[in-house]
Amino acid sequence: MNWNIHLPALIIAVPLLGAFAAPLAGLGGKVTRNIWFVAVSIATVALSIMLWQHVQAEGVVVYVLGGESWNLTLPSGLSWPIRIILEVDAFSAFMAIVGSIAAMAGAFFSLRFMERFSGLDKFVSLYFLLMAGMLGMELTGDLFNFFVFLEIASVASFGLVAFWRDRPEAVEAGFKYMIVSTVAAMLVLIAVGFFYGRYNAVNMAAVARMMHFGYPEKIALVFLVTALAMKCGAVPMHMWTPDAYTEAPAGVTCLLVAVSQASLYGLFRVCFSLYGASLGSSVVPWTIIVLGVLSMFIGVTMAVIQKEIKRLMAYHSVSQIGYILLGLGVGLLALKDPQAMADYGFTAMKGGIYHLFNYTMYKGLLFLTAGALFYAAGSRNLNDLGGLARVMPHTAFMFVIAAAAIAGLPPFNGFVSKLLIYESTFAVYPVLAIAALVTSVLTLASFVKVFQTAFLGPAKSVFANVREVPATMLVGMSILTVVVIGLTLLPTWSLANLVEPAAKALVDQAGYISAVMGGGL
Amino acid sequence: MWSKVYTGFGYWDVYTWLIFFAIAAGLVLWLRSLGRKDYKEGTDQDEIFYGGNVVPEEGSEIQVPASSAYWGFTEALKGYYEVLVEMHSGDAREYVGYMVLTASVLAVLVLL
Repeated sequence: MNWNIHLPALIIAVPLLGAFAAPLAGLGGKVTRNIWFVAVSIATVALSIMLWQHVQAEGVVVYVLGGESWNLTLPSGLSWPIRIILEVDAFSAFMAIVGSIAAMAGAFFSLRFMERFSGLDKFVSLYFLLMAGMLGMELTGDLFNFFVFLEIASVASFGLVAFWRDRPEAVEAGFKYMIVSTVAAMLVLIAVGFFYGRYNAVNMAAVARMMHFGYPEKIALVFLVTALAMKCGAVPMHMWTPDAYTEAPAGVTCLLVAVSQASLYGLFRVCFSLYGASLGSSVVPWTIIVLGVLSMFIGVTMAVIQKEIKRLMAYHSVSQIGYILLGLGVGLLALKDPQAMADYGFTAMKGGIYHLFNYTMYKGLLFLTAGALFYAAGSRNLNDLGGLARVMPHTAFMFVIAAAAIAGLPPFNGFVSKLLIYESTFAVYPVLAIAALVTSVLTLASFVKVFQTAFLGPAKSVFANVREVPATMLVGMSILTVVVIGLTLLPTWSLANLVEPAAKALVDQAGYISAVMGGGL
Repeated sequence: MWSKVYTGFGYWDVYTWLIFFAIAAGLVLWLRSLGRKDYKEGTDQDEIFYGGNVVPEEGSEIQVPASSAYWGFTEALKGYYEVLVEMHSGDAREYVGYMVLTASVLAVLVLL
């Protein structure tokens, strides 16, 4: 039997096994635990690439958990699915690759970054639980299962954000994140309850097939959009982001960036695959566009005035999420009009999805460079740092690559995705593209400030003994640097093989439904 | 793999840009090679020109701190920043409040 059919389950099972076996690996000492940490991360990346290849070859892949057969989505005698079904299309497979690469880079970086601290078995367990939650959210085709994985990811991230529990700020950040996440999770659960009450089903394809856009569905939509927009850090619900991203250890922040994308994935899966053409008016697309513009502008203007490097980068995360919301929001706006979709909607979606990949890579890299500065110089305050490019040339080089990419400087990958967003959104309303351009200029200004204050300038005597960070931390940063450079040099290949199939899968609601339902209902 | 990225309104070709940067880098190196060859490392010629004054030994004395960067920009947008910073109070009740407010506004728009 071809074992590729089990890839959707394996890709979640491997990090879960990684989490539960981490304390056992820890019994073998530091080296065994580190080997386990890295090996499971690499295995997850390998599985995600295999899954993507499998989806490229086979189309939408389904996997029924606990059924008589892995592909028996509709049990005998029933016309709707009752078991948990993993449903992987090109968008899901794309997201799994993005998330697992960021997780692997964070794992390598954390090996030496975290070794000064105790409780590392728990750290590795939580890290893998967060990975499993993220991948589960991206691969499941079941709404209640999505909620469960969302909660797994949330609970693990509360622990990781507050991991440095001797720091009151970290505990406070974890607590605040827990409060807002719990409220959001309740909204998601109530929305799932609405669907279960109305349709006696929680499978996304089944609900999408039966969807009638009545009041319960509208309320469920409001709850899902609000909760998932909050989880990905959209303004005005972004307040937890600077706290959590700043206080989490750098490797974890890199993974949190990818996890926030899983929420964004959920938001668009709900809008495109669950509701799709039945969304009715253009209220929701415009809401997403407005949230995107607000996130871009408020995020970047808040970043400009920060003097704490990770906090500054966290506000940039909010800003970059705005670009993705804008691109995919314009795609959603054009969903019901084939002409508009052909003219600008699909380009906007490609821009949004490509930006999602680019953002996760360069933002993860930026957080790792901030962690490297903290590791080497012992400070995250830009007023204290300075002249570090001389003693940390590799970190400085990778920071410049990431900063140029996030600022959208040509020829870097950030420029390509932003160009697609600028030109397509200009066709809807020129002011949208102008807002995006202004945001890009302010992003550049902000990172020029970071580079000037942290890396340039005369050497400071307090940093006389500072040296470049250890090799494994450089490896973690290098992984993301290589991906950023690869996306820069091969934009056509990336768009044709990764982004376009993902965008097509997202707009193909019928394909998503029929993979589970066939001709049922 | 090597062709252009079409945006629907134009195109992007990374290799044209790389060729441009290579030419620009070549020009820069050529200009640099025209400079004086009698530069002596380790002498006064190495010293930073600091307006004719003695350069302070401690680097932090001559570096513009991050909190002073873009002072004019933030001063010009003072009113905007006052509102924005006040919004970011750090109070978890307000975090939840903004979420409830967003849900409420969206509910009104979707339900009506």
